[in-house]
Amino acid sequence: MNHQGGWELIKNTWQSWLQHRGFFFLLAFGWMLPLLVYLFIWSAAAGDGSIAGLTQETLAGYYLILILTNQFTYATTNWTVGDTIRMGQISRWLIQPMSPLFHALSAEIAGKVVFMLFSIPVTGLLALIIQPQFNLTWSQGGLFLPAILVAWVLRFFWGYWLALLAFWATRADSLLTLQDTFIFLFGGHLAPLALLPSWMQPWARILPFRYMSAFPVEVLTGHLRHNEILWGFVIQAGWSLTAIILYRLVWSRGVRHYESVGG
Amino acid sequence: MTSPMISVQNLTKVYRVPERQPGLGASIQSLFKPRYRDVEAVSTINFEIEAGEMVGLIGPNGAGKTTTLKILSGLLYPTYGKATVAGFRPWERSPEYLRRISMVMGNRSALNWDIPPMDSFHVLSKIYKVPTSHYQRNLEALIELLDLHPLLKKPVRNLSLGERMKCELVAGLLYQPDILFLDEPTLGLDVAMQRRLRQFLQIYNREHHVTVILTTHYMADVTALCPRVMLIHHGHLIYDGALQTLAKKLAPFKLVKLQFSTTSTDFKGFITQFANTERLTSENGHHTLRVPRDNVAQLTAKLLETLPIADLSIEDPPIEAVIDQIYEEGRV
Repeated sequence: MNHQGGWELIKNTWQSWLQHRGFFFLLAFGWMLPLLVYLFIWSAAAGDGSIAGLTQETLAGYYLILILTNQFTYATTNWTVGDTIRMGQISRWLIQPMSPLFHALSAEIAGKVVFMLFSIPVTGLLALIIQPQFNLTWSQGGLFLPAILVAWVLRFFWGYWLALLAFWATRADSLLTLQDTFIFLFGGHLAPLALLPSWMQPWARILPFRYMSAFPVEVLTGHLRHNEILWGFVIQAGWSLTAIILYRLVWSRGVRHYESVGG
Repeated sequence: MTSPMISVQNLTKVYRVPERQPGLGASIQSLFKPRYRDVEAVSTINFEIEAGEMVGLIGPNGAGKTTTLKILSGLLYPTYGKATVAGFRPWERSPEYLRRISMVMGNRSALNWDIPPMDSFHVLSKIYKVPTSHYQRNLEALIELLDLHPLLKKPVRNLSLGERMKCELVAGLLYQPDILFLDEPTLGLDVAMQRRLRQFLQIYNREHHVTVILTTHYMADVTALCPRVMLIHHGHLIYDGALQTLAKKLAPFKLVKLQFSTTSTDFKGFITQFANTERLTSENGHHTLRVPRDNVAQLTAKLLETLPIADLSIEDPPIEAVIDQIYEEGRV
């Protein structure tokens, strides 16, 4: 592992991305909008009372934290991995004495900083306007940190192995659209888990998509019991491990299949 | 006896290429029943290159030059055959191997386009684990040699093609690789910039004893830099040796250019006295004859003796014409 090279790459990518900050700020704003729309829909449904135990204020708290969590775990880099393979641009990374994974990770980490420069103040402003209700405790906060970090690891590597299928299928990035759709359905975007139809809830608890997005929010907002948190971490770690194994498998096979088009 | 720096045995690369007939119907059919064709890009080629050699790998478009370079640099797995470079199997892409090679492509960039080249150089020095003192020394030497000072603070996207190519060379050389793969480094550059890059490569090779394989379509690159050429055609290595030997072998004639002191001189009868000699052009009193090498001395002596010659010169045919002949015929 070449940590120094990796760190320099992150700084370099960050400088490069800051050149286009306007674009990334608009992108971040675009990701916020659907979640705000669902916040307003469910708030209207809850009215002055509650729906499945969720009031307007708790829904606001849930969705505002979900906005930040979604921005943090969203792996933008995976959308460009397919193109770098398809167009042969990954060649320049393959001949460097450092895993190309570092390039994706550097873009990810640099991207988080750029996106958060926009998302944190905007979400803070929204919180002042819509007055959410939080019941935060130190222990929930302590559990939230590993939950959101592993959520990012899972979402990144799940998307990365799907994107690497571009070694065989030229437009494998359509699978990333499918992944986003499943996150929308099962990952707490369409509705908090408690509001999903009863037939969907077991699927949401088993499939990986909730653990990429909604799980850290549920941990922080106190929607889960102790054993639910424990099982949540076990399933999240299991899926993360699966994603990393799939990444390694697809990578080692894919590089053999690589045709390095162009040039 | 030392082993060669690069050794290639029966190297073969077969691509599986999808193909279909034009039109909507064929495109729908290919959705359900895709068809593929095997294309042999490189076919059982063999060669060895010693440390410090500069070798030109030439051939028409699609001949297999870049595929060969990509296999040797570790980008592609071969279908069959063996290759060792500096004792490594390239496609295993061990970090130790990748630190010893560099691949500079005329149509691909190793630099980040949004930031000045100095920032990319710094990152590359860390990726290649170049000690800071070595990095500073190498960088200063390269900047000096390529006259790069005015370019270092501009974002790469604002550099001209020639300026960018200079920066690509710095990026490829600042960790002092032992082996340099150059894939059309002078592509699209103006004549002056081509000449400067050639001079730079000559000096760099002499000072650092770096082993170079160069692919190019510009014969001026090859004549200036490569005492040895390998000619590849349809994936087959059809010539490996000195460029001059190739020219002599393929063009066993010389061009005699002459001008008469009187415009009305008729020398049709004169030419017929010499076998296999022909007049190629005649314009404004300037004539070009194609003469077998063995007859040149005799023909020029007789020309000067019998006809009113104002000017005369003897030249080898241009190397481009020789190479074009091979590309057309596909054999040496």
